Amino acid sequence: MLNWTLRELLLAPQQLVASVAAVAGAFLLVLFFEGVFAGESVQIVALIDKTDADVWVMQKGVGNMHMTTSFVSDWKVDAVAEVEGVAKATPILYMNTTIEAGGRNWFSYVVGVEANDPRVGPWQMAAGAAHPSPGGAVVPEIFASDAGLKLGDTVRIGGRDFRVDGFSRDTFSMANSISFVSFGDLADLMNSLGAVSYILVDAKPGVDPQALADRIKAQVENVNALPRAVFVAHDYSIAVQMGLNIIWIMTLIGGALAVLLTGFVVYSHVTERERELAVMKALGVHNRSIYAAMCAQALIIGGLAFILSLALMAAAMPLTAVLAPKISLAITADAVMRVGATALAVSLVAAVIPVRRIVSVDPVTAFQQ
Amino acid sequence: MTQPILSARDVVKTFGSGHTRVRAVDGVSLDLAAGELVTITGPSGSGKTTLVSILGALLQPDLGSVKIAGQEIATLGETALSMLRARTIGFVFQSFNLLEALSARDNVLFPAHLAPGGARAAGARADALLDRLGLSARAHAMPGTLSGGEKQRTAIARALINEPKLIIADEPTGNLDSHSGQEVMMVLHDVARDQDCAVLIVTHDQRIEEVADRVLWLEDGTLRDRKAEPRKLARDPVCNMLVDGGLSTIFAEHDGRRYHFCSERCRERFVADPQSYAAGGALATAAERSPT
Repeated sequence: MLNWTLRELLLAPQQLVASVAAVAGAFLLVLFFEGVFAGESVQIVALIDKTDADVWVMQKGVGNMHMTTSFVSDWKVDAVAEVEGVAKATPILYMNTTIEAGGRNWFSYVVGVEANDPRVGPWQMAAGAAHPSPGGAVVPEIFASDAGLKLGDTVRIGGRDFRVDGFSRDTFSMANSISFVSFGDLADLMNSLGAVSYILVDAKPGVDPQALADRIKAQVENVNALPRAVFVAHDYSIAVQMGLNIIWIMTLIGGALAVLLTGFVVYSHVTERERELAVMKALGVHNRSIYAAMCAQALIIGGLAFILSLALMAAAMPLTAVLAPKISLAITADAVMRVGATALAVSLVAAVIPVRRIVSVDPVTAFQQ
Repeated sequence: MTQPILSARDVVKTFGSGHTRVRAVDGVSLDLAAGELVTITGPSGSGKTTLVSILGALLQPDLGSVKIAGQEIATLGETALSMLRARTIGFVFQSFNLLEALSARDNVLFPAHLAPGGARAAGARADALLDRLGLSARAHAMPGTLSGGEKQRTAIARALINEPKLIIADEPTGNLDSHSGQEVMMVLHDVARDQDCAVLIVTHDQRIEEVADRVLWLEDGTLRDRKAEPRKLARDPVCNMLVDGGLSTIFAEHDGRRYHFCSERCRERFVADPQSYAAGGALATAAERSPT
């Protein structure tokens, strides 16, 4: 029966290819939207991830960075630096605001960094200086192509003009971008005299980040301290949660589309092969064996479509980077597992569609001309 | 007669209700023993397909009893009936009904998956059957590339793969030229003789009737043994079909003569304009067309 199942599918290879491609299209839709959300989420945590501090210290009660404000008294920078196991404590200022240039607005994290301390700053540059001098800003290079900006042009950040000192790479996404100004300029802008937003802690070699974070919380009052991995995970989950409903809706739409397509293909196979199924029944094949064959056909179509959609997604990622650089795409294990599970569910549901038709096939019709 | 492979008693099957009620099989009784080749013939709509479906355990009768290899089919569930068909009965169809996706050899092996031992154990048997039926060179050919005779011989090999006790063939030579038909007829004859298999054939092919042990006539759902009776064949004056004048119940009188018809439709056409048809179709004697 399995032999017949496989060969029956291969009997019309063009139909098989078209079916698999159509179902793969539905899965690709799901993967693509998941990929966009995953890519955006990766970009949202890019500053924390790329800055590579062992522990992040913030205001007590704060546990993430995205769309959050944190204020920590500046004297606590020294207090943190004195905790056993701390190699270096670097303060940064940070605010969420819009950047205006060329008649456009972009939502952005603006990070204030010490010009004489390269510990924090853009991790990849396209042009200009990596660390802004007073009155200057380093902005994502996408701004240059979108707004026609050049080095030395002016952008408005928080209602104040800044000169473009540099263009950074890997700091833009559709939901969020990252720009850098000097610590002093941002302090003025935020009117945050005597306060910093976060303290980045580098641990001495061999010191466990979690143990160090616990020690900082115990020894420095009214602060929260999180190892980098935990801080990244917090922000990433918040970012993903923001898109979770849309992801589920897209998964449902893509899944329903795939069920319809796979179901139609399997149902067509049943109707086209009704006479053969009647002959099989006459020869002694039981209904459940025919269901199993149709189930196997649906699983094969679903499986091939899943693999094809992954391959297409892998091809789409570099193409998207070139053709639509504003879109950040990422494939996560979660997304692959979700689409894989969808493919399995789609196949099993699709295989149920022709059940009534299979039952209604009368073996007596095998005798008819 | 030894213990029959197939035994049917007072089998009745009715379709429809009220004015459209049709008794397709009407009190048929039949025994078929191992090694016996029996043909059933009769006009279109006489109930042949219904009867053969019941005798092949594809359809349950409304009344009566059908035993195949000692098993009463009315007592068997769907699974048991499927198993009975797979292991005890081999089917040969008029339109061959090979599975298009499988080669000739895989078609032959298909029912073997349903038997103990599976297809692997039946491989040698399939090769032997293909060889015996002259299909060795075409074993891996797809059905679409086989001639009509090759397709039917493949279908016969498929019917024999599980070494069934009963072969049911529906018009096995109906779609074949005379040469291929002759080959298929001899194969079925040999199957009954050499394999001690009961063979039941529904056919209009007189060549098969000539090698049959019994020729049964089915008309209006009723079965008669034609070889045992002197026959009076008549030609339907409307469609020119031969009708058994001794058994036919559809007839009309005109100008002092009785005319027999294959169907009510032909009779109505005759009655509407008897002059156009009356030249032919008068009751003929058995001498006009000898049944044996």
